[in-house]
This record gives sequence, C-alpha cells and structure tokens, in this order.
Amino acid sequence: MIIDVNAYLGHFAFRRLRHNTAASLLALMDAKSIDKAVVSSAAAITYRNTQAGNEEVAEETKGHHDRLIPFAVINPFYAGWQDDLKICHDEFGMTGLRLYPKWHNYTLSSPCCRELVAAATERAMVVSIPLRVEDSRERSWLLNVPDMPLEEIVDLVKAHPKARFILLNGIGYTGSPLGRKDNGLPSNYAIELSRLSAVLANEIGRLIANLGAERIMFGTGMPFNYPDPALVKLEVLDATEPDKEKIRSRNAAAWLRL
Amino acid sequence: MTVLRTSAPVRLSRRTLLKGSAAVALGAMALSSARATASDSARKCKVVDCHAHLSHHSRTAWEADDRKLIDAADKLGIDQLCCSTLTPRWPATLDGFRECNQWTADAMRRFPGRVLGYCYVNPGYSRESLEEIRRHVGDHGFMGIKLYNEYTCTEPVVFPVVELAIGLGVPILHHASHSHYFVEEQPRLTDGGHLAELARRYPEATLICAHISGGGDWEWTIKALRHAPNVMLDTSGSVTDDGSVDMAAAVVGADRLVFGCDSSMTAGVGKIRGADLSVQDKEKILGGNMTRLLQRRKA
Repeated sequence: MIIDVNAYLGHFAFRRLRHNTAASLLALMDAKSIDKAVVSSAAAITYRNTQAGNEEVAEETKGHHDRLIPFAVINPFYAGWQDDLKICHDEFGMTGLRLYPKWHNYTLSSPCCRELVAAATERAMVVSIPLRVEDSRERSWLLNVPDMPLEEIVDLVKAHPKARFILLNGIGYTGSPLGRKDNGLPSNYAIELSRLSAVLANEIGRLIANLGAERIMFGTGMPFNYPDPALVKLEVLDATEPDKEKIRSRNAAAWLRL
Repeated sequence: MTVLRTSAPVRLSRRTLLKGSAAVALGAMALSSARATASDSARKCKVVDCHAHLSHHSRTAWEADDRKLIDAADKLGIDQLCCSTLTPRWPATLDGFRECNQWTADAMRRFPGRVLGYCYVNPGYSRESLEEIRRHVGDHGFMGIKLYNEYTCTEPVVFPVVELAIGLGVPILHHASHSHYFVEEQPRLTDGGHLAELARRYPEATLICAHISGGGDWEWTIKALRHAPNVMLDTSGSVTDDGSVDMAAAVVGADRLVFGCDSSMTAGVGKIRGADLSVQDKEKILGGNMTRLLQRRKA
C-alpha cells in the first residue's frame, strides 16, 4: 500500500493544475498505484477565507473518504477559525490541518497559532506544514513568500510535545536539529520526502539513520508535482524492505489511524 | 522490467529503471500490447543526461562525489552523462575554467563512455576561451561547450564562441533562468528570450536552454522559445511541477527536448516518467535527440 500525505484538490492562484478534482486525482492515483492520499484545498492557500476552500474539498471528497483523506486549511488570524475548525473536524471529517503561516501572514510562535495547534491536538488532529508551496524562482510578480525556516519549526515542536506534525515540501533537515540524531526534540514530527534526495547526498538515508524510518513519510505534492519523482525515490532508496514499507504507508496509517 | 511497486527489496540494475518505466509511463491507458511494444522499443533507447556536473576538486570528497554520480546514474538507468565542472565562484577566472576542463578530461578517462565533457569557458577571456575550446573539443573529444552566467548570451563577447561551436558542430549548453524579479547575484543571467534572440542571429548554431525545471517560470521560458527551432530545452532541475514536460512537448515538440538532471537525479527521471507522452517521444527526450545532436560534430 502507498499513502501520500502531501496531495491537493482545487485551483491554485498562479498556475493551472491538472488532476485537481477528486475524480481526476483518483485516476492519477490509480495509474501510479497510490492507494490513499491526504488532500487539502490548493485554493485556500490564497483565499482570504480559507473555510471556502475547506467546503470545496469536503464536497469534492464526499463518498471518497476511503481513499481521499481531507485536511483543513485554517488561518488562525481569521475571524471564526474556531468555528471553522469545529465544522471541519465534526462535520467534514477532516482529521488534520495544513498551515500556511508565510502565505497567511502570521508566525508559528504567535499566540493565535499556538492556540490553533493546541485546539487541533485536543481533537487528536494531525498538523501538517508545507514549508513551501512552489519554488521561489518561479513566483508571480505579485508576491514574495519565503520558505518556512526550519528553526521556526524547531520551536514549534518543542512547544507542543503532544501535538503531531507532518512537515511537507522541506529539504535540508540534516543541517538542522530536526534531522540530527539525539537532537533532544520530541518525536512528534514526521518528515515527508517529496523534496529529499535518495541518491547523491541521500538525505532520506541519512534521516533514516538519524531519526529512524518511523519518522519518514511518503508524499508527492500532486497535483502541483508529478508524483513520479517521489515514487522513483522509493524505488532507488537503499533501505530495508521493512523500512520502505514504513515510509510507503505504515507510518502514515498509524498517524492517521487508518 | 522494473515496475512502480515492489514487495521485495530492490536495487535496480543499471539501465532498467527508465527503460522499464517507459512502458509503465503509458499510464492508465496502457494495454498489454502497448506495454509489450513500449518495452521492446525502450530496450533500444540510450539514456543521456544532457546536463550533469562533476565535483570541483577543492572539495575534499570530489572523487567520492563523482563516483556517487556514476552510481546514481547506474541506479537510474542513465547510460551517459554530459558533464561540466564549474568553478565555485563566478565570474570564472582563466586558470579557474582551465583546471575545471582538465578535471573533466580526467573524469572522461576515469569513466570512459559514461562521462562526456562540456568545455566550460568564460567568454570574457576571448582568445583564451577559443583556444580552450579548440583544445578540448577539437583535440580531446569534448562533446560541447558550457556557458554560465558571466555574460548574457546576446552580448557580442559571446558571439565568437557561438561561431566556433558552429564550426565544430557542437552544442552550447547555456545556463538560463527567467524570474519575475531581478536576480541580484546573477546580473547577466540569460533567459529563454535571450537564447531565442541569439538563435535568430545564428540559425546554424545548436543551443540548449538549461534546466527549464530549475530556471524560474518555466511556462514563460517554453513560450519564449516556441519560435526558436535551433534551441533545445533541457528538462533538468529540481522543480517537479506537473505538466512542465508536457507543456514543453506540446509547445516546441518532443524533438526539441533533451533529458537532464543537473544533479537532481530522481526529479529528472521522474518528470519524464510522469509526462503524458508516447513512448516514442520519451525515447527521443531520454536520449534520441541528444544522440542526434552529438552526431552533428564535425571531424
């Protein structure tokens, strides 16, 4: 089984996405033998009111929860986020969040964000954080959104030891405490592999050595990205089959209680 | 044949991944007969990475790093790597690019048939650059010329290099990027529009626009190069945006795309696997087109 913890539905403001409906994403997943995917709204990245994007994803994934696992995009600086969180969890069955602090103009250390993480943790929801949405070199002339620095993540995981974080679209963990052995940090975060190398610098292999395969999860970033590069990583990764199986699905299944 | 999912530990044998996956890459439409055809066809396909780099020897691990590149190529089924060695700082000095080319020549000897060499020069050293190209391309069998960001490709100082490349019948791989902001660290950065302009000035030249998937707004670059038939587009780069290879093939044609990694190995391979193109087109991109370019070399 393959579980992708990094997938999306809907439109993105700055580039046309293919495979961005439930039907077309499922067809792509079938073609690539990906069994389940965690999805959130791509439109909510730039919507002011992210709940509109969550509603679109809730509608789109109706009847597909066996394969599409919806996550909510919540902006803790926007009015009514507590209501949105409750609706997303209780009514839409969303079992996790995606946060975009740089896009939504807040910091992970802000009290509102900490309150949101605490509320999500209270509900046993997973909190995932895309460290970037797209490569900054291709950004629109309208904006300049920086990548999320890893040091800000370090402070967050320390502050919420009972929370569970999945870090998406990141790289360079082995140069940060997050990817170092015996780093003194809680084991409350997992790292998704779509931007990590499996050959040459082999960051995935180094993270397995430092943190254990239990902390790595498979993800593609589809439909922003072709899913194939991440699949190729799994194929060429020098790791034991039990470790690969953890990365492919077991870790995500445990965290998502599938 | 390699498949996308395996239940046992896999260490992919050399030259299997891309070729085997070419059939898989037909996607949901693939029928067993189509797979067989693709698989048979794919076995004939030589895979050439048009954009690779060797490690600068100031790095203590340079030899191991070069070995890792070959090992990665083995795992990914890449037959040949067209390599340059770049200086760690730009603009490159005369001594700087000369020693880089010497190291490239050494690597061609260490990995015969696997490493092909680009001769890297800073065109600002006008006479010396031409001598360096004649020595390495003309006498030492380098396959092409690599230009970086010392000058925008439309500056007259670059023209003698292009004219020599035409004379030798070899391609120029030109670093390129288009962002919608000024890139301060690369003030003379070339983009697809510049390359199209150079291509119009020299229609006999063969130019390769580097890393459409690591050079900013790839949609802009592809559109800028639509009407520049003597510019090839290199698919390398760390960006794996869905649709990029597909759009490039739709706009300029698969005959003008050349596969590359630029050290982003799984990204390079995965994008070609993921593109919704025929196996025949993928074969062209993976190696057919580059092989054709290399055959233009004059004696």
